[in-house]
Amino acid sequence: MKTLKIKIDGKEVTAKPDQTILELATENGIYIPTLCHSPALEPAAMCRLCMVELYEGRRKKFVTACNFPLRRDVEIKTDTPDIRQGRKLIIELLMARCADSPLLQGLAKEYGANVQRFSDLKDDCVMCGLCARVCEKVGGKTLTLSGRGVEIHVNTAFSEASEFCIGCGSCVQICPVNSIVMEDVAGERILKIHGREAARVKLVHCEMCNKHFGPVIDLTKVMSKFDKGAIPPSNANICPDCARIKLAKRIAGRYYDTI
Amino acid sequence: MQQLKQAAESNVNTPRITSPKALEDYRASLASKYGHDVPTVIICCGTGCRPSNAVEVAELLEKGLAEADFQGKIVPHVKATGCHGFCSRGPIVELEPQGIFYQKVKPKDVPEIIEKTIKGGELIKHLQYKDASKKVFTHTNEIPFYAKQSRLVLKNIGKINPFDIDDAIATGTYGALAKALSSMTPGQIIEEVKTSFIKGRGGAGFPTGIKWESCASQIGNRYIICNADEGDPGAFMDRSLLEGDPHRILEGMAIAAKAIGSNRGYIYVRLEYPLAIQTLTQAIQQAEAMGLLGDNIMGTGFNFKVSLSMGAGAFVCGESSALMSSLEGKVGRPRPKYIRSVEKGFRDSPSNLNNVETYANIPDIILKGGEWYKSIGTKESTGTKVFSLTGNVHNIGLVEVPMGVPLREIIFDIGGGVPKKRAFKAVQTGGPSGGCIPAQHLDIPVSFESLDQVGSIMGSGGMIVMDENICMVEVARYFTHFLVEESCGQCTPCREGLIRMEEILERITHGEGREEDPDTLEEIGKFVTNFSLCGLGTSAANPVLSTIRHFREEYETHIRHKKCPAGVCKPLYSLKIDEEKCVGCGICKKRCPVNAITGDKKKPHVLEIEKCIKCMECHKNCDFAAVIVL
Repeated sequence: MKTLKIKIDGKEVTAKPDQTILELATENGIYIPTLCHSPALEPAAMCRLCMVELYEGRRKKFVTACNFPLRRDVEIKTDTPDIRQGRKLIIELLMARCADSPLLQGLAKEYGANVQRFSDLKDDCVMCGLCARVCEKVGGKTLTLSGRGVEIHVNTAFSEASEFCIGCGSCVQICPVNSIVMEDVAGERILKIHGREAARVKLVHCEMCNKHFGPVIDLTKVMSKFDKGAIPPSNANICPDCARIKLAKRIAGRYYDTI
Repeated sequence: MQQLKQAAESNVNTPRITSPKALEDYRASLASKYGHDVPTVIICCGTGCRPSNAVEVAELLEKGLAEADFQGKIVPHVKATGCHGFCSRGPIVELEPQGIFYQKVKPKDVPEIIEKTIKGGELIKHLQYKDASKKVFTHTNEIPFYAKQSRLVLKNIGKINPFDIDDAIATGTYGALAKALSSMTPGQIIEEVKTSFIKGRGGAGFPTGIKWESCASQIGNRYIICNADEGDPGAFMDRSLLEGDPHRILEGMAIAAKAIGSNRGYIYVRLEYPLAIQTLTQAIQQAEAMGLLGDNIMGTGFNFKVSLSMGAGAFVCGESSALMSSLEGKVGRPRPKYIRSVEKGFRDSPSNLNNVETYANIPDIILKGGEWYKSIGTKESTGTKVFSLTGNVHNIGLVEVPMGVPLREIIFDIGGGVPKKRAFKAVQTGGPSGGCIPAQHLDIPVSFESLDQVGSIMGSGGMIVMDENICMVEVARYFTHFLVEESCGQCTPCREGLIRMEEILERITHGEGREEDPDTLEEIGKFVTNFSLCGLGTSAANPVLSTIRHFREEYETHIRHKKCPAGVCKPLYSLKIDEEKCVGCGICKKRCPVNAITGDKKKPHVLEIEKCIKCMECHKNCDFAAVIVL
């Protein structure tokens, strides 16, 4: 396959066609900061923190590293004064939304950002959109971006608690500023965004230890794919810990006459 | 409207065109009904004239002519057309073939027009157009507003009934499509468009031929999309085209489809254009019924189906990738465009999106050739451009001029200059994300390149003229506010940057500006331009950056001296009546809603500043410029 000759921060490297700048940089140990990127998801280029300078002949362009596909031999500079200045402003603007985030504080230090430059917007979200995108990807149909302009925010449909949440917790795990909260309370898993309940999912009750564990997932469709009786004795209502004990007991029972 | 319905019904009997030759024959058969010398009373029923009872005028004319006794002479027929462009003078009535022009016609004027002019051949003075110097003009083509334009794209608008396909065919429409289908290969069509060097009229100015060529080279299902989501405040070029000459756009799209190898097209039109939706819907129906669109067009075996899709009012949906998202039924948010939509656009397929005006230019390029088109305009920007001229200018309306015409000519010769003897201050081109151009640059030729050099953009062709009573800081604040509301909110610079710019502008207009504010605005502005995701974001700072560039002293007066010299930012000025200039006419006293002005007749009046609410009624209405802004 054809390879491309790319010069990145003075280093001559080769790239595969359609590889993104971010992938190439990571491969070559060059750090580019990101807020809205996850290798598991399609790049959205929303936070604009990964902006780099691209030189092609005499032309210079600003492009986002996370989604720019390399197709020609070009030169890339990832840490010029213009880029640093822009990133500093992004951080300053986002610090006004969630000053408490350790991630942003770290970035602010790195880029010398004035963390109190803009008045506090009293928000808890950097609007990276990762939660909404991962929710769509896993088929959760719960979180989405509503509103336009400054009013854009993570929300559920019609701002009501969603009935489609599967309680997978992907959004909680992916949030870069840890603003989504998930708690298991009294047999239910509660998802909270902006301090408000976004979904409530029933948890399965373990038949062995009586504790609650994972969320109830409607398996009717999956079950219908099997012939009747072909489903092995189910562990569906037993928590992973008890399932392990149960299996261990069965193995032990087969070889030793202990039970 | 009765007449419109008749046109629709009469078309039921129109034949199906089965070959390009049949189209020519059919056109020839229409000459007796639609020729130039057929006596016709034309009335503008565009969106601008309708609120002034244009439809009622048309109906009364029709009724009046049917009842009048013409003693054997030919009774002229009434034709309701699209926008004539001279919107500040509407409703407009034209009498063909003489070319007599009547303006601001009211329903009560109809009997007089029929009796005096149509039957008696006598002119009615009070309906004639007079310019600022009171000179009277009789014929349409003598009026400077029309005489100095070169109407190519707009040539049929105001001449044909947009609901009647026969009228369009009689003027030559679909002839270019016949030529493209019968005697040209897709490669030849693209070559012709490339030779013409027409650049996209939506604003970015990308060469159309190159776009078509790269779309045609892709593999897979291709789509033709027409961007009719015209959202710029004060811009109505596309609306008038859609309302006045829908077949020209359909023809342009069909030629593009042939060139690119597509058989599916969409027109994305905003729902706020109800009349355009009506004309387009009927135009598509009529063209399909006649075999000029749809399956087996003119018997050549080429298929092209066009559907309408209505936008729901988001300004950002005029951006091509947001438009395609919306067309797919998703939220209209722009997508990153490093992979162009000609490669992967609507439904992830190769899609060619052009603006209404671009498609409207195509038929002439095909008929008369790319070389002919290139001979109009400048070397880099070829052809003509339609502008909607609004704001503080005498002649508000649609103006089509060749590229390269100086701004001064558009504003002063065609537009008639600034009313009320006020001084010209700036012209804003390119819609909300365009820039403001001051008087010293009035002699630059209008082209994509020259407007870019003075910090503005061509945009889709909005042109707002501002006089000395307009505050540039307030203008920047107004447009920034518009963009804050219309930003999609996805990317950080546009969402967070614009709101901070608005915050700063807000405080300057309230007299709380800080010394460093213009520099901060420039810093954020440049950042928003370089770091934003889509075209809206990258041009959103233009109003601020261009006003700081050309009117920095006005910002400084606001910040340092807490004064608004134009008298717009209320906390920053007060009013006074100049004793020497005041003649004591009493108009200001009569107009003042809070009785803050006192004084005897023919003696200088006095304004009590404590009572004044700065509504500016006295200032606006004083004929002696005696009310001064301090």
